Amino acid sequence: MTVKKPDDFGAETTAEQIMVQPGVTVTDLPSASEFETKLMRLNVGPQHPSTHGVLRVVVDLDGETVKRIVPQIGYLHTGFEKTMEHRTYQQGVTYSNRMDYLHGFGHDLAYVLAVEKLLDAQVPVRAQQVRVILNELNRIASHLVFFGTGILDMGALTLFFYTMREREQIIDLFEMVCGVRMNYGYFRVGGLSRDIPDGFVDAAKQFVASFPKMIEQYRGMFAKNDIFVNRTKGVGVLSRETALDYGLTGPSLRASGVNLDFRKTQPYSGYENYDFDVPTSSKGDVNARFMVRLEEMTESLKIVEQALDALEPGPVKDPDRRISLPPRQELETSMEAVIFHFKLATEGFHPPRGEVYVPTESARGELGYYLVSDGGSMPYRVKVRVPSLINLQSLEPACLDGVFADMVANIASLDPVMGDVDK
Amino acid sequence: MSLVERLVDDLKPLGGKPAEFKRMVSVTVDSEHIVAAINTVKDAGFEMLSDIFGIDYLQYPQHQGKRFSVAYNLYSISANERIFIRVNVDDGDVLPTITHLWKGASFMEREVYDMFGIAFDGHPDLRKLITPEDLEGHPHRKDFPIGETPTLFNDGRFIDPAAFRAGLTGQDAGLSGHQGGMRRGYSQDIDMPAPNIEANTNRANPNKEGK
Amino acid sequence: MALQDLFEKDVQELENEGILFSSLEKLVAWGRSNSLWPATFGLACCAIEMMQSTNSRNDLARFGSEVFRASPRQSDVMIVAGRLSKKMAPVMRRVYDQMPDPKWVISMGACASSGGMFNNYAIVQNVDSVVPVDIFVPGCPPRPEALVYAVMQLQKKVRGEAFDQQGIELPMVEGWKA
Repeated sequence: MTVKKPDDFGAETTAEQIMVQPGVTVTDLPSASEFETKLMRLNVGPQHPSTHGVLRVVVDLDGETVKRIVPQIGYLHTGFEKTMEHRTYQQGVTYSNRMDYLHGFGHDLAYVLAVEKLLDAQVPVRAQQVRVILNELNRIASHLVFFGTGILDMGALTLFFYTMREREQIIDLFEMVCGVRMNYGYFRVGGLSRDIPDGFVDAAKQFVASFPKMIEQYRGMFAKNDIFVNRTKGVGVLSRETALDYGLTGPSLRASGVNLDFRKTQPYSGYENYDFDVPTSSKGDVNARFMVRLEEMTESLKIVEQALDALEPGPVKDPDRRISLPPRQELETSMEAVIFHFKLATEGFHPPRGEVYVPTESARGELGYYLVSDGGSMPYRVKVRVPSLINLQSLEPACLDGVFADMVANIASLDPVMGDVDK
Repeated sequence: MSLVERLVDDLKPLGGKPAEFKRMVSVTVDSEHIVAAINTVKDAGFEMLSDIFGIDYLQYPQHQGKRFSVAYNLYSISANERIFIRVNVDDGDVLPTITHLWKGASFMEREVYDMFGIAFDGHPDLRKLITPEDLEGHPHRKDFPIGETPTLFNDGRFIDPAAFRAGLTGQDAGLSGHQGGMRRGYSQDIDMPAPNIEANTNRANPNKEGK
Repeated sequence: MALQDLFEKDVQELENEGILFSSLEKLVAWGRSNSLWPATFGLACCAIEMMQSTNSRNDLARFGSEVFRASPRQSDVMIVAGRLSKKMAPVMRRVYDQMPDPKWVISMGACASSGGMFNNYAIVQNVDSVVPVDIFVPGCPPRPEALVYAVMQLQKKVRGEAFDQQGIELPMVEGWKA
């Protein structure tokens, strides 16, 4: 092969030869494999608009192909587990929802269920129903953020504003109940902190009636869009075996063909009373992970509707005075109530010794709190089995031998929340 | 017999000691047999490794045995059953890795190493996972301090959280030794000093608890 | 901010003659304050509320923050939204150093302003120790309206209408550096 110099360029050049630069034609260039190239190491993050928080990814690129990918995490490490060892059980509820701040009620529920299992607490039916309603509404809100930011990562801005509009409606419902838009402090060990206000059921029913139209609107906006389909179909395929090998759980696992949902297999908080399906897909690509979450929103809406219809008036706290604070009226008349209140407010309750684990299904996968109790009023060890940390390992098989732009789509589809990853 | 019960029998020749608490089954094995034990569990139909984590029993009241315990949380999707395989290790012990069985064990073992200092022999990439590179020590150990900063208020007051908490955990008598002692599970064994009644005239009498 | 407030005594002249006089500093400060482009530095839960402040209900874009620039070299203000862990602190300092002057920092939320509920080995207890902060926003997380109010206060500070705790007027941002 000889590279023609500009001076050698003679008259025998024909129009079919494509000029790359004066004197060199495409037919003369060696193929890329004949070049001796090195992989380029590119550092993505931790401050980057497309990495869903402070995720740092170090990729080795061969041109545009990803040859090696190593996620570096820990940029949001907060020491939750160690801090929760220095707070009472009831104070742990303030910490749990700040881990996965998009599905805060999921974490609250998992923690509260674990403590209640230790205590053998009897949670009244109404509290369980309200917990399920809020948990599922929060799951819908989390999936809305997933869609908004996921499609934003692929370059489309409009869907973000549409999903945020719906999320504002859900957050209005939460604000009606607990006064906070995010990072709720509503669940308590033994039930809820207070009953839901009067207008909540009507407002929630209104939302439930109006939401299916919106899901169809979202589906119309991106599901058949050529750019979206081309960027997601066949991209980041995780087979069933790979997904199980890497410990993937949640909607991403269900998109790879494994029908595993802890709300169905090990129901908690009354989930066995509701009739809902678990959407799965067998394709395992990014498109499947998006579509599974779209269907999940419909199923969550079904659960909310059924729970709203099933609500009956009743208590919302475990009546056991050793766990729940007594109502304020009792404090005026009963001395024992004052003593219980004093003990609970200053020191907290003492679960018996033991270790428990309750697996629940959060919007991202299997979530469970492993609590070790030593009989004191603060937990001895809290280990949170966070879904996002384990799911993030699947980034490697999904991105390898793909294009760099697909890595962005893969991160978006695995839905990591860095507060959840780094705890 | 359920899958877990059969598995407990299969693990007995490997030295497995079962325990059950509130319908959660855990089997403790020695560190020499851990890979064989987990292999048995995986072959029995437990497809999913949920979690690997460590517990430091240094300040656990009346704890006998080795300081750390590493637990493997395994779940069978087909049979819908869960089992915990535990192994007790001392400071400085090394456990074999199970990344050849599940690649997802990689981050989990790294986290145990980062937080407790228990190394895993054969792990492809054993280094810190979540803590900063310049942090020395292993944060989830009980002798690693929580690292609280004293809070400075506008008028110049300092509240030192460590001293406040020492009062709560009973290392320091604090406002009333009774309240401190009860925080850490020593309710049966500590001989609590009598509370200082003159200082607490406005509180409900702490001696009048229903014990 | 209406044109009238900026150029009070010249309004008559503007209305009658169609001409107004001002100092270049005031004009530049007015322009800068109304087009503060934030750099995306969302860390944790507050980042979600920061995102919510850009949605259609609480529109931050009408205050000039039309785009959240991904590159710090094209932004004016860094909104530190969320808890800053000690591993992230040097990264944040680098991002801050990459921003061109004049730049401001809004510390959003309790965790950025003081460590919040996390008083432990992993969280920087006040972002002010890493970057100079102009506006602290309390809340866990602060409502989007609170963040919008913070941006408005920052606008006042940029224009030189802000006072610190002793009542001393804070200087207006420099129009240019000699």
